[in-house]
Amino acid sequence: MTTYKVCVVGGHCSNRVMIVAEQLTEFFEKQGIACQVVTHLAAGEYGFPPRSNLILQLLPAFTESEAGCPVINIKPLIGDPMHPATIEKILTQIQADYPT
Amino acid sequence: MKSRIYLDYCATTPVHSIVRDAILSALEADFGNPSSLHWAGQNAAGLLKQARADVASALGCAPDEIIFTSGATEADNLAIFGGLKRLPPNKTHLITSAIEHHAVLHAAQELEREGCAVTCLPVDGRGLVDPEDVRRAIRPETALISIMLVNNEVGSIQPIAEISRIARERGICLHTDAVQGIGLLDVDVNALGVDMLSLSAHKIYGPKGIGALYVRRGIELSPLIVGGAQEGSRRAGTENVPGILGLAAAVKLVRGHRAEERARLLGLRERLVNAMQASGPGVIVNGPKGEVAPHVVSVSFEGADAEMLQIRLNQEGFAVSLGSACNSKSIEPSHVLTAMGLPREQIEATLRISLGMFTTEAELDLFVDALTRVLPRVAV
Repeated sequence: MTTYKVCVVGGHCSNRVMIVAEQLTEFFEKQGIACQVVTHLAAGEYGFPPRSNLILQLLPAFTESEAGCPVINIKPLIGDPMHPATIEKILTQIQADYPT
Repeated sequence: MKSRIYLDYCATTPVHSIVRDAILSALEADFGNPSSLHWAGQNAAGLLKQARADVASALGCAPDEIIFTSGATEADNLAIFGGLKRLPPNKTHLITSAIEHHAVLHAAQELEREGCAVTCLPVDGRGLVDPEDVRRAIRPETALISIMLVNNEVGSIQPIAEISRIARERGICLHTDAVQGIGLLDVDVNALGVDMLSLSAHKIYGPKGIGALYVRRGIELSPLIVGGAQEGSRRAGTENVPGILGLAAAVKLVRGHRAEERARLLGLRERLVNAMQASGPGVIVNGPKGEVAPHVVSVSFEGADAEMLQIRLNQEGFAVSLGSACNSKSIEPSHVLTAMGLPREQIEATLRISLGMFTTEAELDLFVDALTRVLPRVAV
């Protein structure tokens, strides 16, 4: 069974990406959403997008056509880990392509 | 292979070949300890003496007013901590500005933790300190004023000469961090009226790890590093002769070409700004509109994510900066741009491009081409 992979994408700051990824992991667990949360820093020299089912990015790193999967901007989560509009977008997308 | 173009001269500069040759000769032939009494030591001591004289001449001061340090960060720390420690106990107030380099700001914060009072003066939207704010901030217990000559993020040139008149009236010591000014402005400690001045080699085509602090005769400092009588007992440790020779060579190099280089960079800066603004709407140049350090361009791109823009430009081969190099990995926005009153969205859309001796028109044209291609991909 393939694991649904969510990739949190950041820029230079690995701390920031890790914090957001950890908060999302905790959130998904509480919501009963089974998925793997990984991280990726877009600041590499070549900047290839990671292979994922869903990309949640802290900055405009990739488009959907580049990534080959849905992409959601989650920058508001830096200031507010439960930013309502952003959380709703994430949940809606996960529900759409990974119905529980 | 994609060409790589460096546009981050405020962060550091490549070592010029003249400087490199001066360093190499010291590494290979002149390896003595200047404190040794034999031929090897005295050879090194002679070179050290000449280097000190060269740096002093460039600043318009006496050789014994120069203390060599490991860089401007140490020089700033020495000026602030070393300067205050020698003063009477009732002199416990430091005046500085909100846009200083962290070497000064963090030293000021440490002083506050130790019980010293610190006034951080605001700046206006151009990044300039008002000398009258300095005057108003002075108290009977004010011991030291530290205001940088040129800001490293936006290129604003502070009215140091005017501030020095105010400081002199009140008998208060004035320090300036001249790291970004020494290469392109006419820096004479007497014309500026400063009592202490910090400089760094690696911002003027010299090596990293070496700088200097000018200290006017009569001003006493408590050393931060003890354990020897070097630098007039003000900074212990066997002198970094290769580094010092490199610093002296760098200072002579930039001093010799200052006026023409300033004019050249002003022309390049204008060309770059015009090209960027012609490339599309929403391009804002931050900092003063009039007199500005010719090598620094702080520019905001409305609606863009500057971090992703910097990443994409790096992938295209262009080295530019998000604000100052020292805070490019910090989550908090630039303290300089914040102090200037820029809104957070604008700060997060801001890059710093800094020009130097090896920057050409062709490089800037390529940069603007790449910028135009990349900007649509980094919209927030």
